[in-house]
Amino acid sequence: MTPRLILAATLAVPLCPGALTAQALASAHDSAVHVLNRLAYGPLPGQVDAVSREGVWHWVERQLDPESIDNGVLEVRESDFTLLAYSRDELSREFLALQRERRERQAMVAQGDTAEAIGRGMVSDRGRHMRRLAGQVGQLVVVRATVSNRQLHEVMVDFWTNHFNVYLAKGLDRVLLPGYIEETIRPNAMGNFGDLLLATARDPAMLFYLDNVQSVAPGSMPPELVRRLERMSRSGRRANGTSGARMDSLLRQVEARLPRGLNENYARELLELHTVGVDAGYTQQDVEDVARILTGWSLSRRDDRLRYHFNAWAHDAGEKWVMGERFPEGEGEQEGRRLLAMLARHPATMHHVSRKLCARFVSDQPSPGCVDAAVAAWRRSDGDIPTILRAMFRTPEFWAESNRGAKVKSPLEFTVSAVRVLGGSPDDSPGMARVVGQLGQPLYLQAAPTGYPETQEDWVNSGALLNRMNVAMSLAGNSLRGVTIDLTAVVPLAEDTDQLIDAVDDRLLGGRMSATTRAVLRRELESLPDVASRRALAVGLAIGGPEFQRQ
Amino acid sequence: MITRRFFLRAGTMALASFGLDPLFLDRAAYAFPGLRPAGKGKTLVCLFQRGAVDGLNMVVPHGEQAYYRDRPRIAVPRNRVVDLDGHFGLHPELDVLKPLWDNGSLAIVHAAGSPDDTRSHFDAQDYMETATPGVKSTRDGWLNRYCQHDQEHEATPFRAVAFGPQLPRILGGAAPSLAIGDLRTFGLQARRPESKDKLTRAFESLYQGSATGLLASTSEESFEAVQMLREVDPTQYRPADGVDYPRGQFGQSLMQIAQLIKAGMGLEVAFADIGGWDTHVNQGADEGQLANRLGQFGQGMAAFSADLGELMADVVVLTMSEFGRTVRENGNRGTDHGHATAMMVMGGSVRGGSVYGRWPGLDGSDLYQGRDLAVTTDFRDLFAEVLQGHLGATDLGPVFPGHPLDPSRFPGVMGR
Repeated sequence: MTPRLILAATLAVPLCPGALTAQALASAHDSAVHVLNRLAYGPLPGQVDAVSREGVWHWVERQLDPESIDNGVLEVRESDFTLLAYSRDELSREFLALQRERRERQAMVAQGDTAEAIGRGMVSDRGRHMRRLAGQVGQLVVVRATVSNRQLHEVMVDFWTNHFNVYLAKGLDRVLLPGYIEETIRPNAMGNFGDLLLATARDPAMLFYLDNVQSVAPGSMPPELVRRLERMSRSGRRANGTSGARMDSLLRQVEARLPRGLNENYARELLELHTVGVDAGYTQQDVEDVARILTGWSLSRRDDRLRYHFNAWAHDAGEKWVMGERFPEGEGEQEGRRLLAMLARHPATMHHVSRKLCARFVSDQPSPGCVDAAVAAWRRSDGDIPTILRAMFRTPEFWAESNRGAKVKSPLEFTVSAVRVLGGSPDDSPGMARVVGQLGQPLYLQAAPTGYPETQEDWVNSGALLNRMNVAMSLAGNSLRGVTIDLTAVVPLAEDTDQLIDAVDDRLLGGRMSATTRAVLRRELESLPDVASRRALAVGLAIGGPEFQRQ
Repeated sequence: MITRRFFLRAGTMALASFGLDPLFLDRAAYAFPGLRPAGKGKTLVCLFQRGAVDGLNMVVPHGEQAYYRDRPRIAVPRNRVVDLDGHFGLHPELDVLKPLWDNGSLAIVHAAGSPDDTRSHFDAQDYMETATPGVKSTRDGWLNRYCQHDQEHEATPFRAVAFGPQLPRILGGAAPSLAIGDLRTFGLQARRPESKDKLTRAFESLYQGSATGLLASTSEESFEAVQMLREVDPTQYRPADGVDYPRGQFGQSLMQIAQLIKAGMGLEVAFADIGGWDTHVNQGADEGQLANRLGQFGQGMAAFSADLGELMADVVVLTMSEFGRTVRENGNRGTDHGHATAMMVMGGSVRGGSVYGRWPGLDGSDLYQGRDLAVTTDFRDLFAEVLQGHLGATDLGPVFPGHPLDPSRFPGVMGR
């Protein structure tokens, strides 16, 4: 241990003088294990040594600058995903065409078309194709997290996807979500917070998910509806009374389709979850004024392309006040941009989001020291995400012994880290995404805008824990659908039980195996006759055991 | 109230101090059939009809002219309705529930629903499961909040169970709760029973030895649950004579809930859901799409009740759906998203044989936004009454935040 310790100290000091006593105490090996567990989805075979040799801080700096890292290996894998070949517009066209197809067929059945009625439930080619694409949405998350060399970028994509949660199964979000991930979250995940916030606010997926598309200035009406009503009332007058009942019913239909004024959903979550946080001291009036500012931020469906569109007719042009800031009347779409920029720079936002970042990277209950360091870096850099992260990684809290190997992995982290540590390769079937779902984190399917929680209470429950053990055993037996592993490359067959256990400890647990685990493994392995099943059991128990659940 | 667990713990200590084997008492208690192993011995089963059931064809207001006028092609004909009280009647596919109505263990609350006007399935289900209509950011479900705030029931691994692959919103939150797809496959999987036992033992000792904090306590619960189930052996379960659960996931979930109750596993809240209610097209009347679904639903409830027999004295089944459907049928012989619906409450402590809730009527001016059955019972008042009346909940404030409880608004279904 001693030589490693000296190595770590010499590596650490030149890059980051001061405040690193805690990290200096960790050996280079343990430091590498720690950064690979937190800034990445766990180590690949041999990666702990590679990062130790490279120098932990050097590796961290490269991760903070993802563009500098060659990612050819991921690009090759991404080419298997036809989903990525579709643009936003193409996807929405296909989806809307499919919806029309379904409606037409339903109508034919309703009109008594026997052939159509018999063929019911049969899926069209377009339907089948869309279903295949849909299956790729979740699997792509697992594949990227597993194979990307830009690991911190993937971790941050997961963080922001969760922070700016959108529920895939809500109506149009089924088709809007891929574009949201590709064009809004991924390009901004390691950029600037203000840009990211604005991009999410204008993204069709978010506008639809939190109902901003429905939010209009009270009493406002789309111009085409006004014209239609005028036409109706003219023809109503001509028919002179006879069609009074029909007129009523038409009016009722129009009314039912009318937007119902302000919808505060997005405004509320924008303040409470995305930016300043629930304790920032804003009032219901602030929420309403935020909603008024964002009236008109909506979607256009022109040519079946679902895109952001500002509906001037729906915008509330009056004066608004948000948290003491005045928004004079008549600023239109521009005032929404100003509001988002103001929120992105608000001290409460810096604090709220920094605390979440610390909870993700450092501890479920982060110390004020970590949060303060992140906030200071945020202020200094005006929300530059890598700068904020770097400041956090340099706090003593990040390296504290009590925080290392302490956080419980989320189902995604558990699954991906298990596949990575075993040198596994997930395919493009939905298999592994399904595993993550069974463990309690169905991808993009958190209905609440809070996203998935970061704390262990929400991941650790009886059913899920037993499932993790089962997944570990299937993985070790190479019988998990959607992934192939090559155990021999990671843990060679060994006649000697202690040798096998040492290899498992070193390769899979980063040397953290407890004495009890070692004793239990020894006892359980002894009764098995052949080396192959001994190895499978040892690997399964290690991955399903308590040490591997933590990061 | 002294629970059996409390008695046991206190008693064990006393006996241990006299040098007696504490396990003796444990065995003795289990051997006594009248004792339930934990808690108050009451169970609430919530059944969610996802997709918005047409309450007006489930519990038909056949005394209303407007019902027949507005639904020329999908109304249930008067002579097919199973009459309940001269004004309301059950859909003919629910006739299996009529005996329960007659013996006073089935009540109906009509025109129940949410004060929020959303017609989105997603939002409305979310609101019903969190019991905070209009507030999206509520983190936990109301059944979970009940478990957090009602400490009288001692925690057993099977206190709160949802049947299905994932924990639904309604049970999400800080209190431990289980999502079980199938009891028969709960626990460690292995081809042969011996290897299953060996594997279970191996993981159990791993976690006993090396886990800390929450991982330690949860794993203990997990293995306790596995052990409890092993003794019950779900693969060998046979329902009571003549009881036939409908095929499919819903029937199986109900059967496994009954099994947990019979085995005395300390099940206090159970949840299962059933989809297929979003009948925009070709809904059917006394026969057809909705009728088939109701048939499965009713048979499930009737089988569950018959299977449990006398144990139903301590069980209440509560049905719910995110909203109802339009009064008028649409151009596709179906109905669109509406507002109020009907909910059923079944069990020994239910004041059955009545339809509760003020009936708002179906005439034009009575309708909500000119098109839907109006809500006259806030679903939270029904849920609160059931929690209080059946499970004996005392601290309902945190369970229904933002909705101060006023028993005078309770529909009155509980307390026979």
